Amino acid sequence: MTLQINLHQPPFSFLSEDQLAWLTQRLDLVFFPAGAVILRKGQSAPGVYIIYKGVVEETDETGEHVFTQYGKEDIFDVRAVLESGCKHQYRALEETLCYLLKAKDFIELLNESRDLSIFFNTDLGTQQSMVEQQDQSVSEFILSRVDDDVIRPAVYVSPQTNLSRVASLMFEKKHDALLVRDGERVGIVTGTDLLKSTLLGDKTKQTRVEDIAQFNLIHVNYGDFLFNALLKMTQHKIERVVVKRDGEIVGLLELMDMLSTFSTHSHIIAMRIEQAKSLKDLVSASRRLENLVATMNNQGVKMIALQELITTLNRRLIHRAFELIFPERLRRAVCILVLGSEGRGEQILKTDQDNAIILENEHDREAVLPLLQQLHQALLDFGYPPCPGGVMFINDSWIDTIDGWKARVRRWLDSGKPEAMMNMAIFMDAEPVCGSPHLFHPIKASWQLESLRASIVSARFAKPALQFETPLTILGNIREDHGKLDIKKGGIFPLVHGVRALAFEQAIDDCNTLERIDRLQEKGLVDAETAQGLKDALIFFWRIRLRQQLERGGDNPGLSQQLDVKLLRSVDRNMLRHALHRVKKFKQTLVSHFRLENF
Amino acid sequence: MLPHWLRKHIPGQLPPEGRWRHMAEPYEGDEIVVLDCETSIFDKKKGELLSVAAVRVRGNEILLADALDLTIRSDAVTDPNAVRVHYLRREDRLNGVSLAEAIEKLLDFIGNRPICGFYIEYDRAILNRYIRQLHNFQLPNQFIEVSEIYVRKKRRLYPDLPLKLTFEALATDLNVPIIERHTAIGDVISTALMHIKLTRF
Repeated sequence: MTLQINLHQPPFSFLSEDQLAWLTQRLDLVFFPAGAVILRKGQSAPGVYIIYKGVVEETDETGEHVFTQYGKEDIFDVRAVLESGCKHQYRALEETLCYLLKAKDFIELLNESRDLSIFFNTDLGTQQSMVEQQDQSVSEFILSRVDDDVIRPAVYVSPQTNLSRVASLMFEKKHDALLVRDGERVGIVTGTDLLKSTLLGDKTKQTRVEDIAQFNLIHVNYGDFLFNALLKMTQHKIERVVVKRDGEIVGLLELMDMLSTFSTHSHIIAMRIEQAKSLKDLVSASRRLENLVATMNNQGVKMIALQELITTLNRRLIHRAFELIFPERLRRAVCILVLGSEGRGEQILKTDQDNAIILENEHDREAVLPLLQQLHQALLDFGYPPCPGGVMFINDSWIDTIDGWKARVRRWLDSGKPEAMMNMAIFMDAEPVCGSPHLFHPIKASWQLESLRASIVSARFAKPALQFETPLTILGNIREDHGKLDIKKGGIFPLVHGVRALAFEQAIDDCNTLERIDRLQEKGLVDAETAQGLKDALIFFWRIRLRQQLERGGDNPGLSQQLDVKLLRSVDRNMLRHALHRVKKFKQTLVSHFRLENF
Repeated sequence: MLPHWLRKHIPGQLPPEGRWRHMAEPYEGDEIVVLDCETSIFDKKKGELLSVAAVRVRGNEILLADALDLTIRSDAVTDPNAVRVHYLRREDRLNGVSLAEAIEKLLDFIGNRPICGFYIEYDRAILNRYIRQLHNFQLPNQFIEVSEIYVRKKRRLYPDLPLKLTFEALATDLNVPIIERHTAIGDVISTALMHIKLTRF
């Protein structure tokens, strides 16, 4: 007899197969008519109920104050079993079928399974992180940390040591890198440095090592995730980092040592991008990026780390294409901006091309236009769909000089029309990725104005955050449309745009929404708890959206914003409800901050 | 006490003896047993028992943890169409328990509780056929027909409404989930839910 509920989800997925099989044999089924009180306040519960069908409402003893509702696969009321009695009243809102796990069996399970007992005896925060951790357990690498297993002890030489001695030490110790200690300063010398300086350069065997050592060391901390170390190596294009513990160097972490345990090849993709000789090479590297996202998501890589890595790789990809297409002189005379989600570094699956270009000199326009067409085509080949709104550097309205852009920004702000405000919003998230970033700075400064505080412009800018209703019912449950929910309209956009509006008003420099929230918190615009809540909600939305996009597959999975509520596990549904409540509350904050009630 | 030969020659017309004597006693408790049999062909006289499931119901609680769900070891040739109905292939059945063992377990499980089912007349006939052969008596229990209660309730409300009395029609009308239709245990659970709803809601 198979059960009609899925026990392969938290918290029951913490159980072993044997324990699950045992549990399956211990469940009774109870049927309640609509309106029946299942548990009364003060009553001790016969066991924990797991809902198979129907809806149960948790209220105070009068039934007037509703705390929450439970649906399929939700569990109640563990406290009534573990503690002396039920604190609230549970009532079936409609005909409800529940599996019942008797109290003594439930307690026996808790004694058998440490994870289960931790889960039920802890607060919601710990439960969430347990669920996250379990989601991650698939990947050993991702959970691995920088520790004695992967680092090599450092071998030191003095700055006066000659290169001949350095070479023989490397050979002797089988190390490809030695550290050079010069008083307080520590530098590094590698086998490649030796080769370059002697065979390719003018250094000799007698040269002192301090002449070729590099003293700007990149380090990670002992105990960091290996993944972060990999990220650093990718960002700095290096193959080893120094490991520090309490500020002291304790060893070296070599890329090769790490790659032997690492399977997702993100670094290999980075190398392929860097070494690409043609756009064709880049196209094949970009295809591998999509697999990388799927693999890393399956391995349970944390959302933020995944975004960071994909953003880094995406920008390298565009940058390399730019290098291949633009001749050296023109490269310095332009600045290419990525806008929207790509600019914020929040795009994981490719959605669309949002980009613009700044020209240093108007007279380069003729020369640049055909190159932009080529770059646009390359981006299409990489899998970026064209922007439906035409926000692309191949269109006249997204090409201009510094002064031209400043004038545009001024026109947008003065007009106050919704389209102008939306253009401003897209442009505000700009991040320079190719060419000369200094071309962008004066433009960015042109909207970071003191006069925007509490101005009507800021209010107009913020307004669109309210344009979609939060998908919650009057009773505070998730409101779905035939089982679907638009997660962008319902959750992500209001958060992202609301935060952007506050960042706009406060002239905050960062583009990433999570970083903007941190800045807002530093400035005292939101308190620590709200800031954490907004970040948690946003990361959660991203996570469930990505999971469903990957499951759905097809061409351009990144374009779909529809969330199938039925596919969510009951823990996720619960978290979704909490997250949507945070969005709703945040919108109310925006209304009072920008005085939007009169708009 | 009737003579031995009489007992032998009028089989199954007498109350149970010995181990199952208590089955004929009036039931004082508050439980019923819902049961369902799956047979090789749909025929009271020739259908061979392939599986039987039973569950005790107390009030609105279905005591699923203690349910009985037995597959009988039999190599009866099944109607291929029936396999599509109950999904018990010959291979599945070869791992089952013996018929005698199944009947004993079932009798112990039921005791003197009332027996309830959907078209329970069929299950009663099948079981009595075996019990008569093996133990020389027939089930003395009270029988409850779910569809009868349904008709009675409906007639009271809508005397002239034509009623569709299939298992699916009842489940749909009563808004009770159909769980793994045509497995004995699945049908038992749905039937038990129908009974709870008809008698307690």
